[in-house]
Amino acid sequence: MKGIKDHVSKPLENSMFEFAAYDSAAAEKAGYSNYSYWGSTFRCFLKNRVAMGLLILLAILLVFTCIQPLLPGQYKAKLVINHPITGMQMMNVRPGLTNVQAKAEAGVVLTVTPWEDDKWAAVSNVIETIPKRNEFTVLEYGADFCKVDYKGTVGYVKNDFTTKLKLPEDFENTPYKAKSNFNVSLHTTPAELTYKGDELFVLKESIEMQADGTAIAIKEAELRLLPDVRPFLFGTNNAGQDLWAMVWSGTRTSLLIGIVVAFCQAIIGILIGVLWGYVRSLDRLLTEVYNVIDNIPTTIVLILVSYVLRPGISTLILAMSATGWVGMARFVRNQIVIIRDRDYNLASRCLGTGTFRIITRNLLPYLVSVITLRMALSVPGAIGSEVFITYIGLGLPINIPSLGNLINVGRKLLSSGSSYQLLFPTIVLSIITISFYIVGNAFADAADPKNHL
Amino acid sequence: MAKYLLKRIGQSIFTLAIILSLVFVMVRQMPIDGYFDNIDKLTPAVIEATLDKLGLNDPMLVQLKDFFLNLLKGDLGVSARYSKDVPIIEIVANKAPVSLTLGLIAMAVSLVLGIPLGAAMARSKNKFWDKFGTLFIVLINAVPSAVYYIYIQSYGSTLLGVSMLFERDNWVTWILPIFSLSLGNIAYYAMWLRRYMVDELNKDYVRLARAKGVDTKKITMRHVFRNAFVPMIQYIPTSLLYTVGGSIYVESLYSIPGMGGLLVDVITKQDNPMVQAIVMIYSCIGIVGMLLGDLLMAVIDPRISLTKKEGAR
Repeated sequence: MKGIKDHVSKPLENSMFEFAAYDSAAAEKAGYSNYSYWGSTFRCFLKNRVAMGLLILLAILLVFTCIQPLLPGQYKAKLVINHPITGMQMMNVRPGLTNVQAKAEAGVVLTVTPWEDDKWAAVSNVIETIPKRNEFTVLEYGADFCKVDYKGTVGYVKNDFTTKLKLPEDFENTPYKAKSNFNVSLHTTPAELTYKGDELFVLKESIEMQADGTAIAIKEAELRLLPDVRPFLFGTNNAGQDLWAMVWSGTRTSLLIGIVVAFCQAIIGILIGVLWGYVRSLDRLLTEVYNVIDNIPTTIVLILVSYVLRPGISTLILAMSATGWVGMARFVRNQIVIIRDRDYNLASRCLGTGTFRIITRNLLPYLVSVITLRMALSVPGAIGSEVFITYIGLGLPINIPSLGNLINVGRKLLSSGSSYQLLFPTIVLSIITISFYIVGNAFADAADPKNHL
Repeated sequence: MAKYLLKRIGQSIFTLAIILSLVFVMVRQMPIDGYFDNIDKLTPAVIEATLDKLGLNDPMLVQLKDFFLNLLKGDLGVSARYSKDVPIIEIVANKAPVSLTLGLIAMAVSLVLGIPLGAAMARSKNKFWDKFGTLFIVLINAVPSAVYYIYIQSYGSTLLGVSMLFERDNWVTWILPIFSLSLGNIAYYAMWLRRYMVDELNKDYVRLARAKGVDTKKITMRHVFRNAFVPMIQYIPTSLLYTVGGSIYVESLYSIPGMGGLLVDVITKQDNPMVQAIVMIYSCIGIVGMLLGDLLMAVIDPRISLTKKEGAR
C-alpha cells in the first residue's frame, strides 16, 4: 500500500495539465492523422525551391513597384528632363550607375558658361565651335585628337567619324591646313568633357575660377550630365524621360491591368460557372452561349472591343475580361457538375440548406486552389495581350506609361543602337510573367491532394 | 453520325450568324469618320447623302438585313479609306493566299517539330530532353509572344543575313515568320503529347508488354505513341486559332502582304468597312477550323461518344 500512498500524496503539478507536444510517430501508432489541406499544400509548395525563390522575387518586385515613387533619388515618371542651359531634351542617354559623364583630372582647364547656381557650375572644355568648311591648321596629328590652331586659338579637335576631318594623304607631316564638313568643337584638352557639345555640371568646390572666365580643376572633378547626382539607371528614352521611372510606372499600369483583369475574369467566370453547373435549367442555354464564344479567336474579340471603344485602361480591362472569363466559367462548371450531387450535398439539400449557402460553403472551397491558379496565369496573359494590343495601335495612349507602350517604343529603336530601351522593359516583363506562371503552376501542383504525403 | 454532323454544322452556322451580327452592330457604334476618306473637307449635305447611300441612316434591323443579303451575294462592301471604293473582297483575295500558305506551313512545321519533342520528353523523363523541353515550354508560355517575336526578328535576320522584311520571292525571308508562328504551337503540342504519353506509359498494357520483353523503343512507338496521338487531334483547332492570332502580329511585324498585316493597317487607318469585313473573315476561319477539328475527331476516334460530348466537354 505504501506505493499508492506515495503516489496520492504527491502534489499535482500544473505541467501535468498542459497539452503534450505533437508527436507524429505516436500519432501514426494510434492511427490519428492531423492532415490539413492547407498545411500540406503549403509544405508541398515550400519543397519547390524554384517556385519559392520566384515567389519571393515576385513579392519583392511587387512591393518595389508600388513604393518606387516614394523612394529617395527617383525622377518622376513622364517628366521630360531638359538640359538646364540649352533646354534640349536629354534624349537617349545611355544607362549607367552614375550620371558622371566625364572626369577632369586636377589641373585641367575648363571653360565656364555663366549660369547662376550656388552649388553647381556649368563647364565644358569646348573653347569654341569651328563652323563647317572653315580652315584650321593642324599642328600635331593624333589618332583621336589633333592639336590645331584656329585663328590664333590653339586647341584640340576630335578625329573620328563624327568630325570626318579632311586631312591630306601625308597626314603625319604637320603642319598643314585642314577642314571638316561639320561643325567641330575646339577642346582645351585632348578629351571630350562635354555632352554632345553641351555643358556638363560640376560641384563648385572642386574647381577654382580664374579671372579670364575659365576654371581649373583643383582635384579630380566629376562632370555630371545634370546639376544633380541622381543617375539614369536605365538611361533615358527618346523623349528625354528617365527610363527607370518609366519602367516602374509602366509596370504599375500593366500589373494593375493584369490583376484587375484576373479578378474580373474570376468573378464573372465563377458566377456564370456556378449558375451553369448548378442550375440545371440554365445548362442548355449557357452551353450554347459557350459554344458561340469559344469559337471566336480571342484576339479578334480583343481587337474589336478595343477598336470600337476609346483607348484607355478601362477599355483594355473590359476587352480582356470579355474574352477571359469563358475558360474560368467552363472549368468551374465542370467541377460543380462533378461534386454537386455528392452525398453530402444531397444531405445538405434534404436538410433545407439554401442554394447560396451550399454553393459558398460546400462547393466553392473545393475550387479555391484551381481558381487561384487560373487567376495567377491570367495576369501574364493580360500583360501579354496589352503588349499585343498596343503594338497594333489600339492600346493605351502614349502618355500613360505601360510595359506595352515602352516595348513598342523600344522596338522601333532596336536597330538605332538604343537596344537598352527594349531590353529593360522586356526583362522586367519577363521576370513578372515567368514568375506568375511558375508560381501559379507550382501552387496548383501543391494544391493537388494527389501530391500530398 | 449523320445526325451529329448535321447538328454540329447547324451549330456552326448559328454561331456564325450571331457573331456576324454582333460585329456588324458593334462597328456601327463607331464614329462615322471611318466611312469617309476625308471628312473635314466635306459639307454636311455631302456627308448625309453618302450616309444615305451607304444605308447607314436606316434602322439597324434593315441594315442588318441588307448586310446579310449582300453577304449571300458575296458582297462585303467597298473600302472607305484603305484604298477607296475598291471592293473589299478583291483586296482580301489578293492578300489571303500569302496568309494561308504561311499559316499552313507554320502549322505543319509545329507538328513536325512539336510531336518529336513531346515524344522525346516523355521517353527521357527527367533527363536532358525533358528538362530542355520543359524549359522551352515554360518560356514560350510565360513570355508574351509579342516580346520574343521582336527579338527573333531582330537577331534572326542578322543571323540569317537577310533583311528584316518579308520578300515573297526570297525563301530565306520566309523562315523567321514561319518559325515565330510555329513556336507557340510547338510548345503546345509537345506539352500535351508528353502528358498523354506519360499517362499511357503507366498503363497496364505497357507493363504487360514490358514483362513480355518487348523492347522499349517498340513500346513507345507502336503502343504508347499511337494511343497518345489520338487525343492530340483535339488540339489542332485550338492551335489554328493560335496561328490566326499570331499571324496578325507576325505579318505586320515583317510587312507580309497578308490578311493579318492588312488588319493592322486598316485599324490604323480607321477604315470601318474593312475592319468589319476582316474581323468577320477571321471569325469564320475560327469557326470553320473548330468545326473541322470536331469532325476530324469524330471520324478518327470511334471511342468518342458523339451524343454525350456536349455536356461533358
